[in-house]
Amino acid sequence: MSAQSLLMGHPLSSPAHARHALLYMWRIRKFEEAVEDLFGRGMMHGTMHLSIGQEASPTGMCMALTLHDQITSTHRGHGHCIAKGADLTRMIAELLGKEIGYCGGRGGSMHIADVETGNLGANGVVGGGIPIAAGAALASKMMKKGTVSVSFFGDGAMNEGAFHEAANLAAIWKLPMILFCENNKYGMSSSTEKAFAIDNLADRAKGYGIPAVNVNGNDVVDVYEQAEIAVKRAKAGEGPTLIVAETYRWKGHSRSDKNLYRTKEEIEEWRALDPIPQFTSKIIKAKLLTEAECDSISQEATDAIIAAVNESVKAKPADPAGLLDAVFKAVSA
Amino acid sequence: MSFKYPVVMPKMSMTMETGELINFHVKVGDHVKAGDVLFEVMTDKIDMEVDAPADGVIETLVAEPGAVIEIGKPVLIMLTETQVMAFDFGGESEEPALAAPVAQVVAEIAAPVPPTPAPILNESVKAVPKARVEATKRGIDLRAIAATGPDNTITMHDLNNAQVDPAVAKRQKANRALIAKGIELTRAIPQASFSRSTSANFDKPSLIAAWATVLRARPDLAIHSHIGVAVIIESKYGSALPVFKDPDQLALGELKTLVETTSQAAKNGKVPLAMLTGATTTIFDVTAYSMNSSTPLLFPNQVTSLTIGHAGTSEKNISLTIDLNFCDFYDGAMLLDALVASLTKL
Amino acid sequence: MLTMAEAIREAMSIAFDERPEVFLLGEDVGIYGGAFGVSGDMYHRYGSERVLDTPIAELGIVGAAVGAALSGMRPIVEIQFSDFTAQAMDQIANQAAKIHFMLGGALHVPMVLRTPQGSGTGAAAQHSQNLEPWFASVPGLKVVVPSNPADAKGLLLSSIDDPNPVIFLEHKLLYKIPGRDPVPEGAIRIPLGVSKVVREGKDLTIVATGIMVNKAWEVCEKLAADGISITLIDPRTISPLDMQPVFESVDKTGRLLVVQEGPAHAGFINEVIAQMAGSVSFGSLIAPIKRLAGMNIPIPYAPQLEKAAVPQIEDIEAAAREIVSLWR
Repeated sequence: MSAQSLLMGHPLSSPAHARHALLYMWRIRKFEEAVEDLFGRGMMHGTMHLSIGQEASPTGMCMALTLHDQITSTHRGHGHCIAKGADLTRMIAELLGKEIGYCGGRGGSMHIADVETGNLGANGVVGGGIPIAAGAALASKMMKKGTVSVSFFGDGAMNEGAFHEAANLAAIWKLPMILFCENNKYGMSSSTEKAFAIDNLADRAKGYGIPAVNVNGNDVVDVYEQAEIAVKRAKAGEGPTLIVAETYRWKGHSRSDKNLYRTKEEIEEWRALDPIPQFTSKIIKAKLLTEAECDSISQEATDAIIAAVNESVKAKPADPAGLLDAVFKAVSA
Repeated sequence: MSFKYPVVMPKMSMTMETGELINFHVKVGDHVKAGDVLFEVMTDKIDMEVDAPADGVIETLVAEPGAVIEIGKPVLIMLTETQVMAFDFGGESEEPALAAPVAQVVAEIAAPVPPTPAPILNESVKAVPKARVEATKRGIDLRAIAATGPDNTITMHDLNNAQVDPAVAKRQKANRALIAKGIELTRAIPQASFSRSTSANFDKPSLIAAWATVLRARPDLAIHSHIGVAVIIESKYGSALPVFKDPDQLALGELKTLVETTSQAAKNGKVPLAMLTGATTTIFDVTAYSMNSSTPLLFPNQVTSLTIGHAGTSEKNISLTIDLNFCDFYDGAMLLDALVASLTKL
Repeated sequence: MLTMAEAIREAMSIAFDERPEVFLLGEDVGIYGGAFGVSGDMYHRYGSERVLDTPIAELGIVGAAVGAALSGMRPIVEIQFSDFTAQAMDQIANQAAKIHFMLGGALHVPMVLRTPQGSGTGAAAQHSQNLEPWFASVPGLKVVVPSNPADAKGLLLSSIDDPNPVIFLEHKLLYKIPGRDPVPEGAIRIPLGVSKVVREGKDLTIVATGIMVNKAWEVCEKLAADGISITLIDPRTISPLDMQPVFESVDKTGRLLVVQEGPAHAGFINEVIAQMAGSVSFGSLIAPIKRLAGMNIPIPYAPQLEKAAVPQIEDIEAAAREIVSLWR
């Protein structure tokens, strides 16, 4: 299945927009569930960081972006990649270590990038992508491209030096960038209550002299509306915005996580705030789509993932033969 | 309930291969909601609760509490209304079979290669690398060399100025005396020499076999009933002259092996006694010294001797010396012709 | 004759003129002209659009350079002391070095990180290190150590051309002095990964890096007067390393002396020794391989201590004479 063309605009502005937003959230959800299953069967090497429950944030943000706008992502980046238009087969193939995978099997889950959709890559280092996104914004400004770059990162990254240095550079140089924090309340096992001395993470923006906004990370409409404002600011040369999206991850940090650090009640509370049924009822209430149409969108996503998995499983495994030549890009004569 | 879904033993860490089922939280017939705990599992590192992936009904409990189950294998079966993202590829792990990673050898590096197989016992002797290489090449036992380098290490200087082992020197002297005596005796024999050049390509065993065959065809020019081809070979102690008896009667392969092992033995000064007698002709190959020709050595009791030398870029010079007591000019020329013809046919 | 700082500035200016996507960023590189005066008047000639002064934020500025490189620019990022690359190590080693490989070739990072290294200025332990082994041991980085102004100019232009991240390590003591040879005019380029045979001899092969090349040169001149002729090889590019001239030379001389300023233990020069020990040219050695390198200590402050910590000309001379006399 090739990369879908992205639709920009408010999720409730038309049936097509509603369909796009719902489809992409379902694509992310089904993708993550499929990865969970495949990993649980021992078919995927290493570990996986799933973003089940957090689908609204990347979907809403990416509906405010063009194909040329750039993103950097995190170790929990499948959702960002898919929302920005990545090819599902190539993603699964990468996780299965196949040659047709995005990185030829050399990067794995945490390093998927897709140049054609402006995705500069997921990152295995917490905070690693934030200065890179600042640099991309710097290039956009220097080359007068008119694009913005979005750095997705988690609450844990806000305590990394890289966040601080990149936010300051973006502020002083008025870089066309959005600092998008998915606050899922935990950096691995450290809760935000224990890792921060402040209650409102968005307050940090004051220290850099940039604006910040809190959004409901599980409400794709709220995310989109604030994202659109931030994008406009950036493109108008007014500099970066910090968006703190409150959300929750249902699954542990990674597949080895025993969830010792949070309660079942907490997990249950947040499951009730599942972004997908929330948005589905909004669509139906606004009479943009019927319930049957919403169901078929879910099925469409399921079918797309199944097709991607079936295609990837048959693909050729990555070959060690080319490894040495893959380190450097060849110098042209 | 349109979907049947097996809930499997999940992989919970990078290294996990099996898990133990602790207990079930449900029984057959129970209705469950997505997120309800179905059972608990344990590995040496982790215990975890496995949740229902969707709303449904428990159909079958496949495993027993306490059982150790491989990851990916079913623990219970449930029926669900919604399609669960589940992929069962025959229950086998689709670990792709990869070619074993090839250890990359950097282009400039090659493993150190001794120039010849080294039978020399040079352990327990310290020498600079080049000295070892040279000693092996020249067949020198480093234990015989006096070391003047730091920490009793043999330097190239030491190797080049080496005083040979006195026992070796004695044998070398004896060998030289033998050759010198041979030349003295040769002078007393009435002899003549012929030579021809040939572009034929031949190795030592083929030459030995061809020459023996030529001689065999002329019993009238022989003193003995057997043919013994002596071949001069450089050894540790000077020249050695092992004799190959009736080499034309051996299969060429056998002869090749015999020549090879004898040469090796000779280099170490260890030619078997039986091979040092019975020569009826001798071959001197001076191409090894890049020579075109040399003084012929005709031993008493041998009617012929051959000297092989260089004659140009791809030609050899074959020179035949005959004892005129047993062979006249014409026959000598015939012998040489026959040999060259035979070598050309090889 | 141009000094090394001037030669580097000339190279950057040529690159700026050739390609609009080349720019320089770093602390004090703009108005101040660079902590060691390397960027000089470039700020006035090219403006703040292309010569960016940054706050003190090594991780941030190297990361921004990576991001800019991914997006079509060719940044030259100057880190004021090589010691401070430690602050930026995630972006250098985990990001820049690995992006091309991890992403299966989808993206590459055409970035040059220039930084002064080395001891002798009394700047003490945290401002005097030789860190080429840090970078050389990370696959995905190219590492260059010029020993003279002409090489610095040619190598820097090639480094800027290179589509991969290049770490360009300049010795502080060489900035203000001209080399033995004049710097050629114009856009000269010296390819990366090619060692230079600085002079030829038959008695000894010396492989030296950076400032040690110049010290070794003095030794070669002195010993030539005594009839000892020495081949001096400057790898210039630490990684990828061109060993071919070293093998060829050792086949002729049979003796090898390797010299670097950085500490001996796990230092770069050990790579030369390792490759020699595993090659067929090993059988040409008539002497053990001799290594001269810095002491395994942080660089001390007092001048006599600072000198004692690294090889000096006298040490190189003594080592050369000793090898040639002891191993004949």
